[in-house]
Amino acid sequence: MLDFIRDLSLYNFVRGPLVWIAFLIFIGGSIYKVRGMILLAKKEKVVQPYMSFKLSLRSILHWVFPFASVNWRSRWVISTATFLFHVGLVILPIFLLAHNVLIYESWGISWWTVSEGFADIMTMIVIACCGFFFVRRIFAPEVRFVTFADDYLILAIAFLPFITGFLAYHQWLLPHKIMVILHMIFGSLMLIAIPFTRLGHMLYFFLTRAYMGSDQGYRHSQDW
Amino acid sequence: MAEASVKESTKTEDWVKLNRKPVADPGFDETVKNLTTEKIEKAVNAVLNIGKNGARFMAPLETCIHCALCSNACHWYLSHDKDPTYAPVAKVKMTLWELIKRKGKVSPEFMKQVARIVFCECNLCRRCSMYCPFGLDIAFQLGMVRRMCFILGLVPQNILDQTHSLSATLTQLWITQGDWIDTMQWQEEEVRGEIKNVRIPIDKEGAEVMWCPLGTEPKVATYHIARTAKIMNVAGIDWTVAAQDGWDSANMGMFIRDMETMQRVVRGIYDNAMRLKIKRIVLTE
Repeated sequence: MLDFIRDLSLYNFVRGPLVWIAFLIFIGGSIYKVRGMILLAKKEKVVQPYMSFKLSLRSILHWVFPFASVNWRSRWVISTATFLFHVGLVILPIFLLAHNVLIYESWGISWWTVSEGFADIMTMIVIACCGFFFVRRIFAPEVRFVTFADDYLILAIAFLPFITGFLAYHQWLLPHKIMVILHMIFGSLMLIAIPFTRLGHMLYFFLTRAYMGSDQGYRHSQDW
Repeated sequence: MAEASVKESTKTEDWVKLNRKPVADPGFDETVKNLTTEKIEKAVNAVLNIGKNGARFMAPLETCIHCALCSNACHWYLSHDKDPTYAPVAKVKMTLWELIKRKGKVSPEFMKQVARIVFCECNLCRRCSMYCPFGLDIAFQLGMVRRMCFILGLVPQNILDQTHSLSATLTQLWITQGDWIDTMQWQEEEVRGEIKNVRIPIDKEGAEVMWCPLGTEPKVATYHIARTAKIMNVAGIDWTVAAQDGWDSANMGMFIRDMETMQRVVRGIYDNAMRLKIKRIVLTE
């Protein structure tokens, strides 16, 4: 088994075609899903006429700033965890030095990166937040009541690229190369899963918030 | 056939059966006796097929991450010692998600519990949307479930009767046009005991404001009419009430998602406003 994974052809497949496939599915799937939802919204007589760019933006900004809304303030533990988790989820893959090096080697372009120490701490925070969400699903009664198997599945999809990346960086548990291959596979899996599972909340967040912000703003109310 | 599918659904019965104090309502208890799984399936799928064609229904289904952050918004949840079955997302889980999962093939007993949840344990106040990080319209979804229950007739009898009244007379409480005009003139006389020459103008064309009371006011709370007349007259507002049907703003059809009656009530008020060339409609709330 390990020999198969150590084989160069698997490594080449994972770092070449698989990444391309994952990105194509991610981008194509995202466009398909968002476009589908916007078309559905256009079918409704009471959605389109009330949409306002200004009010949508106000609502989105109100909720992406930590502790801006009433609910974020009233539950500071989950708010902190949520924001740290999502900031790590977005910043780490894009601004990690190792990722930048790969892109530089392939295309000769790169952008600014976060320091390795910071990335390490941030990864640990993301992993800890995953643990927190897992524990919350099990022990908070209101969350446990609405938890299904796929909730654990999408948590695992988000968790695996980070834990394997973390272990690969520290070269623990498995040989470095194997861990890197696993990391790439899980990373691709997450990209593919985003449009087609409820991880799609990454895309729909902006649409649903825009709707509720416009809907409330039209009544001269605002987000709490 | 009906019995067979009921048996099937009881065999795989894994839905959450709530142990609550029963609500004695003929609208639930009597109607449920006439329901079969096939009837329920037909009604549920009719509503689901409409829902599938709209973003307001589909977006929450595909976005909700089951975080239960909406729970603290719900006064039902807070006033029942944070019982998880009263959380908004839990109500959606026990009703809509189950119905979608089973494609409407559920027993009448299950549907009775669904009706109890959406009518007796949720006010559709939309406060949960203010607490949801995504701003998902949870009340709209539970409203769609109310629509399913309405199509089956599984509605609290009191509201259903008032909706029937609205669909027949465009008033909430079976008030005839004669009764309505008579009541307004009677209240005009009453107020004249306190304020000299007060008028309750009926059908005054070109007035600034048209006041649309609830049906309850002429029926059982006429002193509200007297008070409104006093306020309008002392404030010097150019106001009127409509003589024709369509003066009643109690839209009970909205609460049980009887869309047909709901739109007729609203249309009736707007028709009167257009006929009388009104600038502003004022409703009792």
